[in-house]
Amino acid sequence: MSFPYTYISCPCTDVSTPINGSTEQNDDEEQERTFDPRSPRANFSLYTLEHLLYCEDCQQIRCPRCTLEEIVTWYCPNCLFEMPSSMVKSEAGRCTRNCFNCPICIGPLAVTSVHPDPVQRSLLGPWILSCGYCNWTSLEIGWQFKGLQDMRSEMGKLKIGGQYKAANSKTSASTPPTESTPDDDPDSVFTALRSFYNSQLSSSNATDPLLTPSGGINYSSPSSLARIMSLYTGRSSYGKKDPAKSTPMRESVDPSEGLQIFDPASDTAAIEKLRTQGWTSTASTAQQTEQKHPPRFTSDLRPTQAQLRTKRSKRCRTCRHILVKPEAKVQSTRFRIRLVALNYIPTITLKPLQPSPSTQLPLLDLNALPVLRASQFLLTLKNPLFDPVKITLGTPAHAPGKNSHKVTILCPQFDIGPNADQWDEALGDNKNRRASKLLSTSKVEYVGGERGKVAEAGKVWEKGRNWTTVVVEVVCQDVGEDGEGEDVLEIPVFLRMEWEGDTMEREEGGSGSGGGGGLKGEERKEKRELAFWVVVGVGKVGRLEGPTLAASP
Amino acid sequence: MPPKPASSKPKGDYIETDTGNKVARRSQLYGTQNIILGGRTTIQPEVCIRGDLVRAAPPKDPKDPKSGASANTSVMVGRYTFVSTGSILRPPHRLHKGTVSYHPLKIGDHTFIGERCIIEAASIGDHVYIGKGAVLGKMVIVKDWVKVLEGAVVAAGTVVPSGCVVGGRPARVVGEVGDGWGMHEGMEGGDMRELWRSVG
Repeated sequence: MSFPYTYISCPCTDVSTPINGSTEQNDDEEQERTFDPRSPRANFSLYTLEHLLYCEDCQQIRCPRCTLEEIVTWYCPNCLFEMPSSMVKSEAGRCTRNCFNCPICIGPLAVTSVHPDPVQRSLLGPWILSCGYCNWTSLEIGWQFKGLQDMRSEMGKLKIGGQYKAANSKTSASTPPTESTPDDDPDSVFTALRSFYNSQLSSSNATDPLLTPSGGINYSSPSSLARIMSLYTGRSSYGKKDPAKSTPMRESVDPSEGLQIFDPASDTAAIEKLRTQGWTSTASTAQQTEQKHPPRFTSDLRPTQAQLRTKRSKRCRTCRHILVKPEAKVQSTRFRIRLVALNYIPTITLKPLQPSPSTQLPLLDLNALPVLRASQFLLTLKNPLFDPVKITLGTPAHAPGKNSHKVTILCPQFDIGPNADQWDEALGDNKNRRASKLLSTSKVEYVGGERGKVAEAGKVWEKGRNWTTVVVEVVCQDVGEDGEGEDVLEIPVFLRMEWEGDTMEREEGGSGSGGGGGLKGEERKEKRELAFWVVVGVGKVGRLEGPTLAASP
Repeated sequence: MPPKPASSKPKGDYIETDTGNKVARRSQLYGTQNIILGGRTTIQPEVCIRGDLVRAAPPKDPKDPKSGASANTSVMVGRYTFVSTGSILRPPHRLHKGTVSYHPLKIGDHTFIGERCIIEAASIGDHVYIGKGAVLGKMVIVKDWVKVLEGAVVAAGTVVPSGCVVGGRPARVVGEVGDGWGMHEGMEGGDMRELWRSVG
């Protein structure tokens, strides 16, 4: 993980917050509690800003947990062809074109020709599938394809080893049980079994109990009487058949009906194979899960059809309004609706404020933060809204965890300017020229670098058009040789933003606090607020060393 | 593209062209006439771009009349795209009718290519983030808004659909980028103007 990072905790995991969107919290206890990024629960509520959405009706952040997804389009990730949703189920969510995945490494397979003449290879078959990553080819299981058109159905007929399946039900009927090699392909066994049981079921209760074989209505049979009684009395006992009374059914008796007799030779063969070829010949779990019928050995793995992917729209779970709606076309990356939190809540970035070169302290390394010495960081909040925003930051005095690192935000209350058009500013008065300074995240900043500026409590470090930077001071404790992850410094910050936003147009009079009698052109302002927890991952705390201690002032 | 030295630093590490491309002096560009940089593109030091591998058939083939005749574009890099130190951009090739033929390598706008990547893709879309040390095999197609994780090996011929996160060896889809991908400056996959400005 690279430092620094920022995660935002979606308020939906806080069960005490009313889901209907009002951010008021009257409960004092709730306000006392601080967010702990180390708690196991926190894992489920922390998201990066780009994964969060914002519901304008609920005026709340929405995370993947509090949105509903609806599938817009199914498409194949390999050929990018859309599949109609009616076909998706019958094709088991797999691509029907020549998109196959390697059985060994699960990479995509390419169709190549093995025609003896290299010049004609682009035109003439026979064709094979080959993997560009692990060099597996379908020749390893003896597969060659005659045509490019219907490789999928050809593949369905092929057995491992390259022979075609003999088991069409008609042909096997003509060559009855004498066949020496029963078809052990799981697919054909299943179809045989299914057709056998279907025929058994249909013969056992061939007709509706109310109908006589001649077609008339049979009231006298006990089953129809029972059914009529159950209709009138409302008891549903009829539907549940007593298992003891069910008609006895014959089981399949020969391979054409799907009977597979256990062959002890297959076991000894498998053991022999394990003994001679060893562990490498067995299929891994990952390889097995890709297969329709997980085999034991890699030599029995088949190429798999590419699994379809989806484009999805997202709705707010609370008010069911659509938050994200992508265009249905597969190739298009545009959205019809996209209400992402990026456009509503400030982006938070952190970068180290390097000590002044004159103090001769080593530069801050985020992977080894100095111990027992104050290190300063610049926390920058950038406002995406077109209204100025008032920010209040809160952080526990000690970062959570066993080692209580001291954390202080030097200026917890400040304003951020609106994300107005740059032209407004250019045409405005020039006294705010400094504010037009661009936010540069990659520039290294020093204490006292520009005009001897040092961090002061209660003052913002720097301010731009729509961003403000404040200083966070951290004093790390010695973490010692603690367990995994104990040396990571994460600061939970409670961010509360207040602004005056435009009221929604469709609210008819009355509800707007501005009280501008519902005139169309008039802009009414409404006070809004939003509050949430942010976790800023600063870096790893370094080891306490002798020289470092001596150098610290 | 005639090199125009930056006004402030006459002998900087980067050469800035008229269209704002920043090309490191210590980068290795072969066949520069076949390379198109879209403007405001950054090429860091020790980057190698093989523009000399063009589509034209090799001259040793006497049957092909067009052999060595037309030298067309081999590498196209979009605006604000950033190619980090140590990466190699090499147009992909394949055997076509018994001869090796090169295909142009197209890279979109606002795409970030991390350090020490090997890129042999046929096309890379816009707002793509390619992590450190990733390998994109021959004729790979990466659509828009994709994140390739560090050290991923994207097998030859793979198509990475838009909005996916791929990783692993060989790379497969391991997730999806957030809905806000590519919208914000300074984030992965986001607007790269700031990064371009900070260079040189």
